[in-house]
Amino acid sequence: MIEIKNLHKSFGSLEVLKGIDLTVNKGEVVCIIGPSGSGKSTVLRCINKLEVPTSGTVIVDGHDIMSRETDINYVRTEAGMVFQQFNLFPHMNVLANVTLGPIKVRGVNRDEADKLGLELLAKVGLADKARNYPEQLSGGQKQRVAIARSLALQPRVMLFDEPTSALDPELVGEVLEVMKQLAMEGMTMIVVTHEMNFAREVADRVIFIDQGVIQEANEPKEFFANPKHPRLRDFLGKVQLAC
Amino acid sequence: MAFQFEPSVVVDTLPMLMRGLKLTIYITLGGLSLGFFLGALAGLMKLSRNFLVRKLAGFYVETIRGTPMLVQAMFLYFGVPMALGMRIPPLVAGILVIAVNSGAYIAEIVRGAVQSINPGQMEAARSIGLRRGQAMLYVVWPQAFKRMIPPLGNQFIISLKDTSLLMVIGVGELLRTGQEIVAVNFRAFEVYLAVAIVYLAMTISISWGLRCLEKRLQIQSR
Ligand SMILES: Nc1ncnc2c1ncn2[C@@H]1O[C@H](COP(=O)(O)OP(=O)(O)OP(=O)(O)O)[C@@H](O)[C@H]1O
Ligand SMILES: [Mg+2]
Repeated sequence: MIEIKNLHKSFGSLEVLKGIDLTVNKGEVVCIIGPSGSGKSTVLRCINKLEVPTSGTVIVDGHDIMSRETDINYVRTEAGMVFQQFNLFPHMNVLANVTLGPIKVRGVNRDEADKLGLELLAKVGLADKARNYPEQLSGGQKQRVAIARSLALQPRVMLFDEPTSALDPELVGEVLEVMKQLAMEGMTMIVVTHEMNFAREVADRVIFIDQGVIQEANEPKEFFANPKHPRLRDFLGKVQLAC
Repeated sequence: MAFQFEPSVVVDTLPMLMRGLKLTIYITLGGLSLGFFLGALAGLMKLSRNFLVRKLAGFYVETIRGTPMLVQAMFLYFGVPMALGMRIPPLVAGILVIAVNSGAYIAEIVRGAVQSINPGQMEAARSIGLRRGQAMLYVVWPQAFKRMIPPLGNQFIISLKDTSLLMVIGVGELLRTGQEIVAVNFRAFEVYLAVAIVYLAMTISISWGLRCLEKRLQIQSR
């Protein structure tokens, strides 16, 4: 589904990614952890070309995002993205947030888009908020709307960038619940997260990124029970202390 | 002979100013509508990824903001026809001057407002597959436009007052009409006072209308 080979990314003289290789198969859930500034967001953002890779290849569902023939806007509909800061459109109500993509990108008519939008809002438990504006919602509700907005394009893979980091602790659960459900339905997912329990429970594979490279990748049980890389051991120690 | 203030002359002058007032309003509205298009275009061009496009818009804004409007008016009305070999009607020249002049300031208003919108909005819009232009049109612009309203209102008032400069190119706007009346009755004090009152009445109405509009928009966004 996603194939990343020797991905490099620099911002000016700062080399953030120094050769990332990662293959994610259909239906797989991959969690990415790592210290702040290690390049986790940058990896995700290179997948849908919000950041242009400096070199390397990124192939999303058969589309090479670096190729001139690739319609990047199409690839972006295949790879939905959920941001830490939600980034809902504040001037549109919740339903309009969800239907904008289907209407303007897919050319679906309004009635059909509304129907789809309401279905998706029901799926994330927010059918009754369709006519509300984003600022009337709690953080957890906003993030669930953002998930519905991405799902409205019927993506093949979902990219989550610390979807619960901006939330009050009591609101984290409702968002993780929606993500868990998505995972169970077979959605391919890449999740940057600090929620170790979620990673342990839902992920098929956990990846530790540090200093611009993947330092360790393993299935979650082994990953958390037997961390091999000293920096990962160090990192897990710190995270557990913080919890 | 000692000066004696005649309030009745002020009152009598007001209706005589109406013809000029009408022209002032036409020029202001016409010039600003055009100026808004120019300004929006130049403002967005300043945000372009293309270096040349950015420089072109920057050149326009710098040139206009760096020269007096009076000079721009004289240049367009007296200078340009020499090069073109044809005259421009004063009214058309007046509207063009207001448009080109306000456009430069509006460009900065537009650029600032668009830049003030969180880049996350553009990214979220792009991430659902909208093209750059669509993301601008449906997501960034509506939010930016709300922020443009106060400074645009300010520009409205400035441009309205600036139309008085157009008397030098023979546009029969408000001030020019006043001047013509003075030429006949020599009551400069009363007539120009009346002219000032009319300008003030307009600018106060605009400020008031804008405050109402802003309040409405604030309520709407809740
Ligand atoms: N647009 C940019 N311009 C310059 N530097 C950037 C840019 N985006 C990211 N960086 C830098 O790249 C590095 C990696 O950033 P990235 O956001 O990928 O880290 P992260 O692992 O997601 O961190 P966090 O856990 O804090 O979100 C950081 O040092 C950051 O300052
Ligand atoms: Mg990040």
